[in-house]
Amino acid sequence: MAAQIQTKMRTENGNLLSFLKTFLRKQPMMRRVLVSLIPILIFSVYSFGWRVLSVLALVTAAGVTTEYFFEKSRNGKPTESVLVSCFLYTLILPVTVPYWIAVVGIIFAIIFGKQVFGGFARNVFNPAVLGRVFVFITFPASMTNSWTQPFSGFPGGFLRWVPDLTDGISSATPLAAAAQGGILPNHLELFLGNISGSMGETSAVLILLAAIYLIVRKTASWKIITSVLIGVLGMETILYFSGVSLFPDPLYAILSGGVLFGAVFMATDPISAPSTEQGKWVFGLLVGVIAVVIREFSLFREGMMFAILIMNSFVPLLDIAVKMAKTNTGKRRVAA
Amino acid sequence: MKVKDVLINGIIKENPTFRLVLGMCPTLAVTTAAINGVAMGLAVTFVLAASNLVISLLRNFIPDKVRIPAFVVVIAAFVTIVGMLMEAFVPNLYDALGLFIPLIVVNCIILARAESFASKYNPFYSFFDGIGMGLGFTAALTILGIIREILGAGTIFGASLFAQSFEPAIIMILPPGAFITLGLLLALLNKLDQKWQQKQAKQV
Repeated sequence: MAAQIQTKMRTENGNLLSFLKTFLRKQPMMRRVLVSLIPILIFSVYSFGWRVLSVLALVTAAGVTTEYFFEKSRNGKPTESVLVSCFLYTLILPVTVPYWIAVVGIIFAIIFGKQVFGGFARNVFNPAVLGRVFVFITFPASMTNSWTQPFSGFPGGFLRWVPDLTDGISSATPLAAAAQGGILPNHLELFLGNISGSMGETSAVLILLAAIYLIVRKTASWKIITSVLIGVLGMETILYFSGVSLFPDPLYAILSGGVLFGAVFMATDPISAPSTEQGKWVFGLLVGVIAVVIREFSLFREGMMFAILIMNSFVPLLDIAVKMAKTNTGKRRVAA
Repeated sequence: MKVKDVLINGIIKENPTFRLVLGMCPTLAVTTAAINGVAMGLAVTFVLAASNLVISLLRNFIPDKVRIPAFVVVIAAFVTIVGMLMEAFVPNLYDALGLFIPLIVVNCIILARAESFASKYNPFYSFFDGIGMGLGFTAALTILGIIREILGAGTIFGASLFAQSFEPAIIMILPPGAFITLGLLLALLNKLDQKWQQKQAKQV
């Protein structure tokens, strides 16, 4: 699978950022992900101020440096995928994250999520999600009590550095509010994204636009995105009618938290997701179901990242199972 | 064979944790703090030395077919002694180590040394083999415990190391921290070993 992706990436070319060409291995697929993230990034600055970019710059510098040292020992160049990992990782952090925690997280993500397995295209887990889970579990105090209300109106965060932390209680994320009985934003606010949350996960509409772009450019698998959403929606509907759901309705559950962002950018990572078509459906559905179970029934608010990591570890098994099932049906002519 | 060689063999050349990768269960589970590592290591050292001695003394009387049960009986006797001593004199540590004290019985280092060393050599060497292996195990557990305690709690042997603003990385005292630390230490030692062997090869 790795070789396929790399040849696919080599045959296409891009001419953005020419200075990066000499330094980085070219990966147009990864570049399209970066392009799709630009509107989300701009909106993030609007919502949370310029600190977003400072965190992003620092994380990217640390991530690329880490990758550079590891690749140097193998006589390779850093890949553009490391930029994607850095961008995605930054966008799922809260804006008030201390700089050093952000840096520790990305270094851990690149080393243990990627380089120990042998670098690009050999990683089992999505590095960005791994880094996020690592900082979440390692520094719970800094990572869970630092949500802020976003800016609104004009000029929003474009003239500000970072939202104030003083109003800690009322700025709980919709997920936390749903669990603790706080004030919930309405559907439209969730859809447009004027809510508290990680830097890049707040605006559902921008994430959906990015998803359409990625699907049209054949960068992200629509099967994975759809199946994750079906998984979440299905499970939430069951819980909703059983009367145990924390959310006002299943649609609300999809729009809040990292479900959309995870489905579009994280679960679709071509390396840590299945390569077989049926495998993608099973993978996506289970990511959705597990995410719902974790966020509804565990202490952790955001089940999406755990669900993706859990299913990442089953990807090789899924692919093998699908291939075996195919050869068997071919021989015996039994409909699958 | 010299006593010194037997000791060094256990502590460095065939360090049970870093070279033989034996006894992983207590290594990973109890090293959340340096003091736990030391206590666990010393308890195992005592059992190792004593059981090696006794098994070596009995090696000509134990029939081959029932040697494993016989070894286990000897080991279990000493583990019981250690457990009772710890419960009486260091109850806090006994609580901290909990189930892992009785589980020393099934620690594979002890059975492995009984099988591969004590049942073949005389009591004198067997005793020092037990001491060496035990100290090697203690050293490994202490190193692991120190690293995890510093990073995970900001303390060393319970004494605070950093200012209040230091935020400990809690993952290091959770199970993943044990695997990460052990893995990195093994990698580091393998690298050092490689370099050392290359150096030796060049000199020859």
